[in-house]
Amino acid sequence: MKKNYGQIYTLPLTLWLTVFFTIPILIIVAISFFKKGLYGGVEFKLSLDAYKALFNPLFLKTLTSTLFISVITTIFIIIFAIPSAYYIARSKKKDFWIFLIIIPFWTNFLIRIYAWIAILGNNGLVNNILIKLGVIENYVQFLYNQWSVITVLTYVSLPFAILPLYSTIEKFDFSLLEAARDLGASKAQSIYKVLLPNIKSGITTAILFTFIPTFGNYAVPQIIGGKDSVMVGTIIARELTVMRNWPLASSISVALTIMTTIGVLLFSNFNKSKTEELRELKRGIK
Amino acid sequence: MIGGELIIDNVSKDFDSVRVLRNANLKIKPGEFFSLLGPSGCGKTTLLRIIAGFEYPTEGAVYLDGKNIINKSPNNRHVNTVFQNYALFPHLSVFENVAFSMRLKKESNEKIRKKVTEYLALVKLEEHVKKMPSQLSGGQKQRVAIARALINEPSVLLLDEPLSALDAKLRQQLLIELDAIHDEIGITFIYVTHDQQEALSVSDRIAVMDRAEILQVGTPFEIYENPANLFIANFIGETNNIKGTVKNVDDDIITIETDSFGDFKIFKDKEVSIGDTVKVTIRPEKIRISRERPTDTDLPINVLTGRIDELIYSGFQTKYYVTLDVNGVTFKVFKQHIKYFMDDTPFSWKENVLIWWYAKDSFLIEVK
Repeated sequence: MKKNYGQIYTLPLTLWLTVFFTIPILIIVAISFFKKGLYGGVEFKLSLDAYKALFNPLFLKTLTSTLFISVITTIFIIIFAIPSAYYIARSKKKDFWIFLIIIPFWTNFLIRIYAWIAILGNNGLVNNILIKLGVIENYVQFLYNQWSVITVLTYVSLPFAILPLYSTIEKFDFSLLEAARDLGASKAQSIYKVLLPNIKSGITTAILFTFIPTFGNYAVPQIIGGKDSVMVGTIIARELTVMRNWPLASSISVALTIMTTIGVLLFSNFNKSKTEELRELKRGIK
Repeated sequence: MIGGELIIDNVSKDFDSVRVLRNANLKIKPGEFFSLLGPSGCGKTTLLRIIAGFEYPTEGAVYLDGKNIINKSPNNRHVNTVFQNYALFPHLSVFENVAFSMRLKKESNEKIRKKVTEYLALVKLEEHVKKMPSQLSGGQKQRVAIARALINEPSVLLLDEPLSALDAKLRQQLLIELDAIHDEIGITFIYVTHDQQEALSVSDRIAVMDRAEILQVGTPFEIYENPANLFIANFIGETNNIKGTVKNVDDDIITIETDSFGDFKIFKDKEVSIGDTVKVTIRPEKIRISRERPTDTDLPINVLTGRIDELIYSGFQTKYYVTLDVNGVTFKVFKQHIKYFMDDTPFSWKENVLIWWYAKDSFLIEVK
């Protein structure tokens, strides 16, 4: 029998993930069940206080608004990413466009977010242009609200949607669109009825890659957001650093993780059930 | 169904200032099985794509039943295409693939079920309705593609090398079925192929194309037996080319002098005068191979002596490559085995033989 070297090969990775991923998560879970210490930290007494606090209406409101921001952001991203990825996949200068998409990663994440203040700020680029053009007389407050957060979150995650979509669309057989047109489909119908169903796996990946980081994002609402755009990530940071309530920060994190995991499982299951159905059909079960 | 009449009126097409189709003119009759035949890159697929509406001609017009259709989008043309790579929708079952155009028209489920079943029966795929395209063989995929294109009841069906991805046996079988379907539904078929055998066997008429131009339009018989130029003679089937000078012109026999093997006679089917440089072609199957001079004919014949250099036995026939004694010119000679091979005392490799043909079987192809 052939010896299975797989476990040996993956040992470094297993160690790394255990030390820096699994153990910290277990610590967070543990802290969430302890009592809050007076000056931060925890008292080692079991308590469900942190979980009870989750049902505070203020927190639930933040959760709803986080969900709203994440969903809208993901929708925007997908709407922008599909045409971009399609264009790149059909372009003769694919490498060039992919390069342009990757370039922003050479700049620090926070600096890119601050750059948006220079663009959307009261004395920023957009306001100045609009005033010069005479469209508005006084500056408009673009920043520090829900929509500025959505704008910047969309910008931040867009590449993570374009890249998986591009790799799926690139494999798509474009003659199928001609076949659809030939059979009487309008341009829009050929996209809707033939392209989209065939790049579903790319869309799924794009949604997961953008929704999850957006849902847990902390930096963007912190820097660009206002009172109406407090997100769960912001609350966790505040509870941890300002309020010194470690168990609450932990319980929120745990709740966030559980919700995301359930969401991902449901979503990928929904997609898988269709593929499963196809496989069963192939086996001749149906 | 009634086939459409298609007129290609002086159509040209440039890609990045390279002319890929030059002044194409064709008149395709209603219900005709018409082939566009030519080597790859000759412009035949471009012409088909212009008819389908995927390309816009740089010049010219395309008339379907009297109406210019070049400004219509592909979905508004009464024309459907069978694609080379099948182009079946991988996410839809066989049934839904065929039903695609009817679903777009929002037909009732009952009507769709009935018609899809009817067309799947036409291509003999009734049992595979529920399968996905990935579960089908190449031949089955192409049948789905044909049913899917026909269900729309187009007046012209365009076929873009539909059989090129299939193996030889299957290709032959599907070709016969395609011909039967054509006879059954009676619409106009335009068939693009680089395979002369395919084109000859099913077409009513063929347009031979090369380097962006249509060189000859005619029935398979005309194209094969009376090619317009040397390219066609060489492209359609195999042939032997002889170059020479006219030495003597009789009432109906021309004597041609060659540099390589002396004089030979040919039937006068074109006007020539003494001194003209001519090119003559003789099909290999019209040349006989024998050990003795034929004595039982009064017709003018040409006899040459040579040696069998190469011999390819392929069951129903043998191809002999006979090199002439005089100076190494090689003739291709195909002999059909109409008798039991062993009864015929077969010729062997390196054997010295005579090859001969009737003067009327070779013909003048170019006169300068």
